Amino acid sequence: MKKIPVIIFFLTMIIACKKNEEPKRGSFLTGDGVFLINEGNFMGGNGSLSYYSYDSSKIYNDLFTEVNGRPLGDVPNSMELYGEMAYIVVNNSGKIEVVKKSSLQSVTTITGLISPRNMGFVNSSKAYVTSMYSDSLIVINLNNFSVSGYINLRRSSESIVVLDDKAFVANWVGGNEVMVINTLTDEVIDSVEVGIEPESMVVDRNNMLWVLCNGGWMRENFAELDGINTVTNTIEKHIQFPTKEASPGCLRIDGNGETLFYLENGVHRMSISSQELPSEPLIAQSGHYYYKLGINPVNGDIFTTDAVDYQQNGHLLHYNSEGSLVSDQQTDIIPGSMCFKLSDN
Amino acid sequence: MSSRTLRYTLLYIAFLLAYPLHGQSSFSNDTINIGEVVISSKKANSDAPGFKTSSIDTTILKLNSHNSVAYLLSHFSGVSVKSYGMGGSTSPSFRGTGAGHTLLTWNEININHPMLGQSDLSLIPAGLIDDIQIYYGGASMPLNSGGIGGTINLETRPVWKKETLMSVNPGIASFGQYTGLIKLRTGNSAFQSVTKGFFQSSENDFRYLNTGISNEPVWQKRTNSQFNQRGFVQEFYLRQNKSVTSARLWYESTNRNLPSSMLIQQPKLRETQSDESLRTMLNWDHFGGSNKFSVTGAWMMTKLNYTNSLASIDSRNNSGTFILKGTMERKVDAFTNLKIALNEEVCRINSNNYNDNTTRNTVSLTATAERNSGGRFTSLLLVREILDTRNFLIPDFSAGLQYRLLAGKEYYLKANLSRNSKIPSMNDMFWIPGGNPDLKNEYAFIYEITYEMNHKLSAPITMNYDLSLYRNNIKDMIQWYQGEYSYWTAGNIKGVNTAGIESSFSLDYSENSFAARLRAAYVYTRATTAKSNITGDASIGRQLIYIPVNKANCSLLLNYKMLYSSWTMSAVGKRFLKVDNSEYLPGYMLNDLITGYRLHLKGTVLDLNFQIENIFNVNYQTIAYYPLPGRSYSLKLLIQIFK
Repeated sequence: MKKIPVIIFFLTMIIACKKNEEPKRGSFLTGDGVFLINEGNFMGGNGSLSYYSYDSSKIYNDLFTEVNGRPLGDVPNSMELYGEMAYIVVNNSGKIEVVKKSSLQSVTTITGLISPRNMGFVNSSKAYVTSMYSDSLIVINLNNFSVSGYINLRRSSESIVVLDDKAFVANWVGGNEVMVINTLTDEVIDSVEVGIEPESMVVDRNNMLWVLCNGGWMRENFAELDGINTVTNTIEKHIQFPTKEASPGCLRIDGNGETLFYLENGVHRMSISSQELPSEPLIAQSGHYYYKLGINPVNGDIFTTDAVDYQQNGHLLHYNSEGSLVSDQQTDIIPGSMCFKLSDN
Repeated sequence: MSSRTLRYTLLYIAFLLAYPLHGQSSFSNDTINIGEVVISSKKANSDAPGFKTSSIDTTILKLNSHNSVAYLLSHFSGVSVKSYGMGGSTSPSFRGTGAGHTLLTWNEININHPMLGQSDLSLIPAGLIDDIQIYYGGASMPLNSGGIGGTINLETRPVWKKETLMSVNPGIASFGQYTGLIKLRTGNSAFQSVTKGFFQSSENDFRYLNTGISNEPVWQKRTNSQFNQRGFVQEFYLRQNKSVTSARLWYESTNRNLPSSMLIQQPKLRETQSDESLRTMLNWDHFGGSNKFSVTGAWMMTKLNYTNSLASIDSRNNSGTFILKGTMERKVDAFTNLKIALNEEVCRINSNNYNDNTTRNTVSLTATAERNSGGRFTSLLLVREILDTRNFLIPDFSAGLQYRLLAGKEYYLKANLSRNSKIPSMNDMFWIPGGNPDLKNEYAFIYEITYEMNHKLSAPITMNYDLSLYRNNIKDMIQWYQGEYSYWTAGNIKGVNTAGIESSFSLDYSENSFAARLRAAYVYTRATTAKSNITGDASIGRQLIYIPVNKANCSLLLNYKMLYSSWTMSAVGKRFLKVDNSEYLPGYMLNDLITGYRLHLKGTVLDLNFQIENIFNVNYQTIAYYPLPGRSYSLKLLIQIFK
């Protein structure tokens, strides 16, 4: 009888020693997948990075903190892969976290940025960063990860597309212009007037720049989809949404540059040659609140995020290219933009 | 389980509840002779039978005259306080409810900011207040509606004696803080004038360990956190044969820079806030035979301006509030008291965040009957009808029952049941964007049982103990959420249940020139989401964020002749940061020491007071990534001249 406590003690120890069955980070990060930025709550400091692995169809949350032992920051907004590095733009912390793509190990932090939003890569030495609360585009030297200059736009900036020797920068908050930058001289060379609040942009296979203008949050203007000729910097296509209540967002394009996708009470799909907007969504929003959208450039899979009530963990919803649900993964708070890591890409 | 085991188990549970305890002293007799004893001219509704109330010890109040009311509540009561740091916005939470469910009153007149529906307790220095009373749950009903969690009442009172007192009380503290409090009280048994002035300024540039911005923790200094505050109170009291008339004025102005989260290191980010308020009050109390009448008129204005240079925000908000409150109390017979109260509140908002100037008119009529059976039972019944602009709300009610367990002894069993409504704040309804004019009022059913005892163990030793169990079921709770459009909007979307245990204990010893007072309190709070319109809501059944399950505080005051000392311990358990309770802020325990020497000369008192806050230099946060100061020191000198 006297041995019973000893036996219980050792049994407890054995039970307490839980085997770590999670694969090591290196293993799942080497395969194909999607990085997901969880914005977290404004001023809450609970932004995070997730990775959805195609190999295991599993999501791994809070990876930045797990690898680097510190929080990612306040409201991370976007992530881009370039070379061996991944760049995470953390909006409200005013910084860019540079990490190794293969391990997410921190390389450096570019600090002192005013409200950075999105990144566009000009070449292996230079990138541009848009800024919501300043009137300048930030120029980053990728050789030493430092700010090398600013391009005065005289207005705030949001999405950015770099094409040949031009960068197109959308003036989203309260604006209605797309600024054109000469990437060789870092000078503003032109601007194109578009609809109210150009929110997102993509380039199609014909090098047409598609600009989705959401009409402004007050719903006082019609949202519109504009197509800009990137040689002449003029609008060649203009499609207006049917009601002022429509507030589309998150314009994306497939890997072939032929099919556009956007969110508007569901996921909508339209051909770049179409003259009108789709009347019905490809994926209805039923039961979800779609926040962001991503399209796998290789196989056309569709990913949406559901931010639920913006306070609890959200969802990453994976659909195949025809809109059938493949999986529903739980993310961290306010899952936002996505960044595809694909070997064929 | 054998009866012996059961007995020991119950004894152990009682010990757990009773021992580590207290803060909210439920008695107000001062036995430590370190300050003047303030005599109340008007007893508040603190003895409503069947309800739980307490007050911050006036001795504690005087020792902490340069601290804010927020500090006193967090260290000496069961009220939880969430703070963005010294000088930063600080909000209270009662019994697991939100800041908007706490009513702040000044001499029983609502002073919650009408736009926010809540108060920033960091704006109120303790030195301007004579007494802080805490009304838990349904106990707040006799004062006003809306205090679903409870009410904090700030009292200012006259001292009816022929005397002139002048006091000057400068202080200096760590992080470039300078404070000053002056007071002039003069009058006689019929007329009193009280003048108080207060100023405080601080660089607030304390060092903290930033663990969030790089792989190795970095020591940093808090920046953009300066604040300065000044306040002024003038009171006149006139006592006649059967009436007391008073006129009060309270002006405050605070300018502060708002430091950001330690994760935010943006250049050119500069947030500022300035708060200005002017509160005036005229009151007439008449006592005649079996009738009492009271009429109070109050006019208050507030200015709250917020700027954010980075986001180009310049938010300007002005409010004006007029309150008229009349009560009539009649003793119907030897055992029964009836009271009728009419409360009219008109507020007008001028804000660049609203479409137009916005006005709201709220009228409430409250009838209260209190009956003392002449034996051990006392009971109270209250019914209230509220007219909110044009809508009559479902009537609220409250019922309390109190039973004296032993004749002639102060052992009480109390129970109460209430329904309390809270009308939405003006911001909830009219803020652009997202304000929802169609919001319904929140309401709660509140249940409570309290055991309370006050026992004189021997001539020099007195013991007090109370234990309360409560439950609040809050319906139609207002929350801002991301709606159909791309901005947040307010809605009645949640139901929340809170339940808990509050226990407090105190022991007083006083003999010859030595006095000691030990107080302890423990609060256990479960606050969970009960209902939500979100499918699969992960918050259902989980503890609400930032509501600690466990909170305890303890203080020991010692006084020997001219020397006095106070040790305070305040412990707060972990607070969850995510609604699914997967992340939390760790708990912390703070220890503060005050020691001083008080010298009585002829007509003059000199008091030198030294204080150490956070003695063990604990690194803690009450809001994630907003650091709070480590160890700090302050030195105060009080010079009082009596004539």
